[in-house]
Amino acid sequence: MNYTKQIQEIAAKLFAEGKIDVFVGYRMNGFDDNQVPVLITGPQEVSRLVFTDKSVFNLVNYLKTDHTRRKRVGLVVKGCDSRSLNLMLTESQVKRENLYVVGICCEGVVDDAGRKMQNCTECMVPDAVVSDELLGTPSNIGLQPYAVNPDIAVLAEKPLPERAAYFEEVFENCIRCNACRHSCPLCYCAKCCIDQETATLYNGANTTSGAFHALMTWSLHLAGRCVDCRNCEKACPSHLPLHLLHKQNESVIYENFQEHLAGVIPGDRGAFYKYSMQDPDDFIM
Amino acid sequence: METEVKDQLVSIEKPQLIAPPNWEPVIMGILCNWCSYAGSDLTGTSRIQYPPNIRIIRVPCSSRVDPWFLIKSLQTTADGVLVSGCHPGDCHYISGNYYARRRFLVTKKLLNFVGFHEDRIQFSWVSAAEGPKFAKVVNKVTEDIKKLGPLHLYKKENFEK
Repeated sequence: MNYTKQIQEIAAKLFAEGKIDVFVGYRMNGFDDNQVPVLITGPQEVSRLVFTDKSVFNLVNYLKTDHTRRKRVGLVVKGCDSRSLNLMLTESQVKRENLYVVGICCEGVVDDAGRKMQNCTECMVPDAVVSDELLGTPSNIGLQPYAVNPDIAVLAEKPLPERAAYFEEVFENCIRCNACRHSCPLCYCAKCCIDQETATLYNGANTTSGAFHALMTWSLHLAGRCVDCRNCEKACPSHLPLHLLHKQNESVIYENFQEHLAGVIPGDRGAFYKYSMQDPDDFIM
Repeated sequence: METEVKDQLVSIEKPQLIAPPNWEPVIMGILCNWCSYAGSDLTGTSRIQYPPNIRIIRVPCSSRVDPWFLIKSLQTTADGVLVSGCHPGDCHYISGNYYARRRFLVTKKLLNFVGFHEDRIQFSWVSAAEGPKFAKVVNKVTEDIKKLGPLHLYKKENFEK
């Protein structure tokens, strides 16, 4: 998967036609073969753009910065990124007419060690669902039957004390840097509820219990919206298995409410914005 | 339950920790104003006894219950939480409890996934006319949590000393 040349051509064309102010893409990080996001403001910088299977980050995240807000933006999205873009459009965070979206029919990206990332091996929507221009051959796999994430299945089998001890260790390692929140395209609130200084409910301490409160809050705010792009896990300096919380919520929502994956259907706001009379009631006395 | 076999009551999430003698659980009861709170009132005026372990908070609707309420309760003093609202179809705000029902299920499963016993987070529908049912619910929740032992997960005071 190498679309470097096509993306450079598209960006040059868009700048020449005056259609965009900023182009968000990937560039080489300068010392090894990994890539970092780059914001390009003119045609002279177009040669820096690359796209290979090392283009791991979700660029939709950069639509919430001041560099792109209220500007016309060109953007490269993979399948999962396009779903988060779809949700941002549905939630009125960006205007579609300000965007030029270069969609990729993604074949999966690889991590630092060259292995295909776990979310790519179980990806159900590899083609970009929002795009002005689609690169690559669409796989047209359609919606597959939902498979529970193997990590979730393993943990759910464990006895309760073991699971509790495992997660206590996870939350203990959190350093409360909030990189997970900053790297998430769907955490766009200008003032996050966990940042309030005079909070009465929120436990803001930099402790295990504080981290528990923060990550629980975060994952529940993303329940039914998370698109499993794993930007949070890539950003986490402590390498916490954050996908566990999201995949757990996703599997519960999929199995009990028969909701589609988040962001696949345009205009669909996620599981918590609607209800059904047939929702499970057996856990309530 | 395996906790009853031992002579000492242990915390089910952390079996190495033993409950103090004569330990009594603290249960946070979050009740909707229109049904369950009135129902609990009826329990009292009908002179039906229910355990004093429950501490009641009144909220306008069960959909007012943010998962923060549950997490905060469990992090501070509570050993368990009971959230109660109107029966489906009876909501004063037409559809509040339908939205709440989805959130409750996801919250309950997530808290269970990270290590809380599922009986620590309980939900019920109690209408304003169901005084005896409210007493039954509180009895059941208190009994369930007495079997589980004290909660020691992510307690604020364990970390902030």
